Amino acid sequence: MPRAIKGALVKCDPSIRALILKIDAESHDIVIEELDDTHLVVDQNRIPFVKAELARILAQNSYNPLDEDEA
Amino acid sequence: MSRRPAVNYLEDEFSSDSYSEEEFPKRRKKVNKKKAQSAMDEIKKQNKDTKFEEDELIEIPLDRPSDFIPDSVSKVFGSSDFSYLKLKPDHASRPIWISPNDGRIILESFSPLSEQAQDFLVTIAEPISRPSFIHEYRITAYSLYAAVSVGLETDDIISVLNRLSKVPVAPSIVNFIRSATISYGKVKLVLKNNRYHVESSQADILQMLLKDEVIGQLRVKSDTLTTTSDGLVRTNKPKSDGLVIAGTAAPASDNSITNTFNTAIGSDPFEDKVEEDDEDEDDDIDKVHSFEIASESVEIVKKRCQEIDYPVLEEYDFRNDQRNPDLDIDLKPSTQIRPYQEKSLSKMFGNGRARSGIIVLPCGAGKTLVGITAACTIKKSVIVLCTSSVSVMQWRQQFLQWCTIQPENVAVFTSENKEMFTGDAGLVVSTYSMVANTRNRSHDSQKVMDFLTSREWGFIILDEVHVVPAAMFRRVVTTIAAHAKLGLTATLVREDDKIGDLNFLIGPKLYEANWMDLAQKGHIANVQCAEVWCPMTSEFYQEYLRETSRKRMLLYIMNPTKFQACQFLIHYHEQRGDKIIVFSDNVYALQEYALKLGKPFIYGSTPQQERMNILQNFQYNDQVNTIFLSKVGDTSIDLPEATCLIQISSHYGSRRQEAQRLGRILRAKRRNDEGFNAFFYSLVSKDTQEMYYSTKRQAFLVDQGYAFKVITHLHGMESLPNLAYSSARERRELLQDVLLKNEDAAGIEAGEDSENMIGGGVSKRVRSGGQSSSATRTTGSLAGLAGGEDMAYVEYSRNKNKELKEHHPLIQKMYYKKKR
Repeated sequence: MPRAIKGALVKCDPSIRALILKIDAESHDIVIEELDDTHLVVDQNRIPFVKAELARILAQNSYNPLDEDEA
Repeated sequence: MSRRPAVNYLEDEFSSDSYSEEEFPKRRKKVNKKKAQSAMDEIKKQNKDTKFEEDELIEIPLDRPSDFIPDSVSKVFGSSDFSYLKLKPDHASRPIWISPNDGRIILESFSPLSEQAQDFLVTIAEPISRPSFIHEYRITAYSLYAAVSVGLETDDIISVLNRLSKVPVAPSIVNFIRSATISYGKVKLVLKNNRYHVESSQADILQMLLKDEVIGQLRVKSDTLTTTSDGLVRTNKPKSDGLVIAGTAAPASDNSITNTFNTAIGSDPFEDKVEEDDEDEDDDIDKVHSFEIASESVEIVKKRCQEIDYPVLEEYDFRNDQRNPDLDIDLKPSTQIRPYQEKSLSKMFGNGRARSGIIVLPCGAGKTLVGITAACTIKKSVIVLCTSSVSVMQWRQQFLQWCTIQPENVAVFTSENKEMFTGDAGLVVSTYSMVANTRNRSHDSQKVMDFLTSREWGFIILDEVHVVPAAMFRRVVTTIAAHAKLGLTATLVREDDKIGDLNFLIGPKLYEANWMDLAQKGHIANVQCAEVWCPMTSEFYQEYLRETSRKRMLLYIMNPTKFQACQFLIHYHEQRGDKIIVFSDNVYALQEYALKLGKPFIYGSTPQQERMNILQNFQYNDQVNTIFLSKVGDTSIDLPEATCLIQISSHYGSRRQEAQRLGRILRAKRRNDEGFNAFFYSLVSKDTQEMYYSTKRQAFLVDQGYAFKVITHLHGMESLPNLAYSSARERRELLQDVLLKNEDAAGIEAGEDSENMIGGGVSKRVRSGGQSSSATRTTGSLAGLAGGEDMAYVEYSRNKNKELKEHHPLIQKMYYKKKR
């Protein structure tokens, strides 16, 4: 009996793919299928979470001079 | 009664068609506050006019008026809603706006007045950011201190700001300027005929000081001079007449600032009248009052003055100093100094005396020559302190090149050389660490130190002041008695907040040059800056995410894409005929890259002989167009041939390092060629921490007006023949190598010969600036130390360093000379 899971196709850079896999490593409920270097199928419901996580992690790598002024 | 004059005033104001700026001072004198107030009322009542006369706004309080009605967008701006500061009618032609909150000044640098405005703002405020169109400055207590020390008066500052500003200057700013300048610089400590005098143009301040319990007692009663009834000595104010800064045609004048005011406003018919007024007051103003103190109590007086908020300004009246013998030194007639160098020096010798302070010029803009010219102007014994023995030799050589000083009067004090000059006066060049070192001196160097501390120096030059730790500095400044101190630096920034200390240890910032301006005029090279984004390969990125932070660094530096980008850029620029320097802070990466690409490299433990050999080859050998340098090349190495710079790894977010490295190519010899550009590339691995550091590092240069282009893809990189790591297998092997590396390898080169277990024994400390210990400690397993771990010796890439042959001395002599 074939089983169907609804998912969303994510197209991204290899580095972002690695990040998503890392996020997935904690709960294993995000990535459904790894297609190739730039494509992933992920659980549709988890997309907002993935987006937020990615934004958080990537923000660590960008420098905002205004942050420093306030500190 | 009060209404009539006001109406008259309005009438003649509006009868003239154009708004006349020239009448501003006259009006201000004529119209008193009351009149202005009523005139203002008049306007409001009759005209319902938003047009107004700035005089009134100077007089009436400008804090947000009680009847100020916030409009619909006011709440968005909160306390920063300054709409109550009305624009002046001719605001379009005025270049600045000052924030009432924090003294930040925004300048339109495209305005026709901007050049004069810049001259003025550099004097009274600190430049924050100077890109092409809008500049940002900030008024701080320090900057005002500096302004006062070059002879500006509080009222001058406020009135010029008012003239330049689009809106009336807010009272908060006026108050700030007043409170900061009221006490600063009013008291001067002058050494005249070898006696210390406390000097001020305002007698009441001196009276107050004399009543002070500490200072009053230290006063020396002089019987030779006629004293006035109040016990003070009156003399004429020093004038700059006759003093010519060496190398300039005209006498130095402290009028340059005042001239700026005038030119800023255009020809001013009223100016003559003001001058006349000044003449009348001359009797009061041009007299200075002073009392004498004993030389041993100078320290106490200085400290006490600081405590009671009247910090003393130190000036050295070198023309009247007869005790210290003159040094026979002058610029050679062929020596030309550039306009900005002259300008910076005129700030220093404004009134015919030498002030202590800091001059900020970009790397390669001739800081050395500024120091030399200052020394030639003072003509007393000079001591120069710099950071490394390499720059010691450079300073010595520059002195001999630019001025007439005799070689026997130039002494060098380093760990290798401890000769002193024999005459009465001379020049000593040394390093900070030699002078500040407190322990374990050899007999010879102790003798030299005794010599240095025992005598009085006319002038001390402190090179690269930003690098010296405050404690070391204090020691240097206190052990060596010098009358005037000059600090030189390119980058007055530190990641810690120690810059403020320099204000008190040396003096205020006297001058800061505009990098873009100098580049435009061809004094320094035009540089194209670019940040190259190299995507991490997926294998590397997965490991990156898994590793600890230190190892991460190694992974993003060794990113194969970055390597390819580096290879591509070297290839591209070598074909264009550029000379390329590649910088890497990480020694492991430095070696790996250099060996793989077959280029010579220099790092901390490269022996001196090999270094010189490599550098010479880089300069004169057409076959050697690229060298790899570690941190050691950041400052002291002077390579005017280099025209392209690639940075593959760096010291975290150090803004200073970025600027110093850029400085390596600013002095490019070919900078005056038509359309010549130097190139500065910073290679960054995408989606890693490096991006963060890279942006942070650029902050300083961006503030100087440099724009960084982002390159996300290098065209033609894939088709480069012999591209390294083009196959997945090679990349995997590299990854294996990197992962096997000890975490230590990830570190940046800490001292001089850290990081190097193989060459550790033979490494020499070449730059005596650092204080590394001779022992290196590394951890390893016992089996590893005994050779028990599997280790094999295979030479993958040959070291290019060894291939560079030194030419026969004779050929060197003939061939190199010709090239020069």
